Amino acid sequence: MRSVLVTDASTPVGERLVRELLDDPAIEHVLAVGPRPQEVALPFDRPGKLHYLQADLGRARHVRTLLFGPARDLAVDSVLHSALVEDPREAGRRVHALNVESTRELLHLSEGHPTIRRFVLRSFSEVYRIRADLPVLIEEDHPLNIGGNAPQWIQDRVEADVTVCTRMGLSPLQIAVVRTAECLAPGTGSQLFDYLESPICFRPAGFDPMVNVITIADLVRALRLTLASDAQGVFNVPGLDTLPLSSAVLKWGRPAIPVPGGWLHPLYRWRERVGGHAFRYGPNRLRFHYSGVLDGTRARRVLGYEPAVGVDWPLPVREAAGLRPGSHHEDDGEG
Amino acid sequence: MPVPPEIAWRIAERVLPAAERQRLADLVFRDEGHGYDAFGLHPAHVALGLALTAPLYDAWFRVISRGIEHVPSSGAAILAANHAGTLPLDAMMIWTDVLRRTTPPRVLRPVADHFVPNLPWIGTFFTRGGMVGGSRGNARALLEAGNLLLVFPEGTPAIGKPFSERYHLLEWRVGHVELAIRHGVPVVPVAVVGSEEQMPQVGRIPFLRPFGAPYLPIPLTPVPLPVRYHIHYGAPVRFDSRPDQADDPGVLSEAASRVRSAVEDLLQAGLRMRQGLFA
Repeated sequence: MRSVLVTDASTPVGERLVRELLDDPAIEHVLAVGPRPQEVALPFDRPGKLHYLQADLGRARHVRTLLFGPARDLAVDSVLHSALVEDPREAGRRVHALNVESTRELLHLSEGHPTIRRFVLRSFSEVYRIRADLPVLIEEDHPLNIGGNAPQWIQDRVEADVTVCTRMGLSPLQIAVVRTAECLAPGTGSQLFDYLESPICFRPAGFDPMVNVITIADLVRALRLTLASDAQGVFNVPGLDTLPLSSAVLKWGRPAIPVPGGWLHPLYRWRERVGGHAFRYGPNRLRFHYSGVLDGTRARRVLGYEPAVGVDWPLPVREAAGLRPGSHHEDDGEG
Repeated sequence: MPVPPEIAWRIAERVLPAAERQRLADLVFRDEGHGYDAFGLHPAHVALGLALTAPLYDAWFRVISRGIEHVPSSGAAILAANHAGTLPLDAMMIWTDVLRRTTPPRVLRPVADHFVPNLPWIGTFFTRGGMVGGSRGNARALLEAGNLLLVFPEGTPAIGKPFSERYHLLEWRVGHVELAIRHGVPVVPVAVVGSEEQMPQVGRIPFLRPFGAPYLPIPLTPVPLPVRYHIHYGAPVRFDSRPDQADDPGVLSEAASRVRSAVEDLLQAGLRMRQGLFA
């Protein structure tokens, strides 16, 4: 990996990734792409190494111009791409073009590109289906959330993911899909983050599923490891924090109010309309009832990724494990 | 009952004797960083669970168990037991017995039918105590992490077994031996005597399916009868088959028959040993 194309450079994850790639002496060029001007998207510069291009990847012509213009000139050998629309409230053909068609076009053109050898798609844990009868620990072959009732932001992510997966082994490219846990940070498209931003967090009474969240630092490290690797396939990338939803709410400094499940949909629809928030209960209903935690065994074994940086919780709650006389971990004894 | 761990622990402190609380300090589990394992188990809730089941175990069912030495003190294994009694009190009593009588204390991971996680409060409370939904992926992950699984190969139909068919094993499913062969772990046969008379059913309402349960049972008594429980653990059944033979229906059928026979033998011996329903 010497020259890298990053397509979602204007997001917090993209920005952090670009910064780290720029600090990597093994990287010659970083070609960053975003919909906004560079002074807004990436408020820094590294002349000669960072190349920013404002482009609308929803337009096939822009994708072609990008790949066979600056990407070819800079001898880009690796592409990191992600669904481009973070806000689940946005929908329609234009959004689909940005999320899915841009992925298809980028992949297709990369296959015929003179210098690109590696294609990495950053995907999301939301592509997995969560249900009572499915495993809590989600491996890469877990069923996908392809139900017709899923909203467009999930359907688009699943379609982009599957579009890339179908080319694995058939394409001249080395393809990897990285399905990452939810990132508790603004601008990452995390529904959980928006949910936690409420002054009061309502949750379904009687249920308290386990959730896993990742930090931008770990996410970016996983993406860099994937870019640097030759490995093909799908990789789950969990974060360091696995905890019940109610604990996440409390650690975020919010009261967690259990209410009957049937109330949550209208409550959050009202919040969305009045407050303009992005969180929608409907698509998250099952995740708020049943546990789903990414199993990162494959990423650990193949990419060498191990979550290391935990969420900086605003209100650390006393760990209950410390309430008992001692705490023993399986690694310490039982095999 | 998803109470916060500190409250769960405080309740347990009031109910459990100091020695029992001290034993729980040696509980082995994989802490994912916030005191819980990935499936939702928390030691404070295990302690709370024990505080709630101990009176049933000691005073109501007056459990006597034999053969606990057959339960491995470390490493993965599957406990396979007969199932009955309208309410899953047999699972709770085995869970309590293993927790109390193994050293260091081991938390059984009962594998429940898919409707159990759908039960508000109850599903969460059981999960905090170690229960997992009955998917192959959950069982595989737990065995790979060296856990003890509790399965009822007769499945949910057995819990509604008519009184006249008590201690007659129903169709014995093969999933547990498939897991055992694939992961090279032993199956410990378990017979529970007493549970099959605890709460006879006089009927069921099949069209009422609360939270996905297969039916709504109508028990003869509003609370379980105070029958005496006898839990018998047998010698572990080990299989010589290679892991790839876990796909062979013939191998699985033969292996399941061995486990079923072992449970059947333990049941018959336990029934012969028993001096009365309440004695």
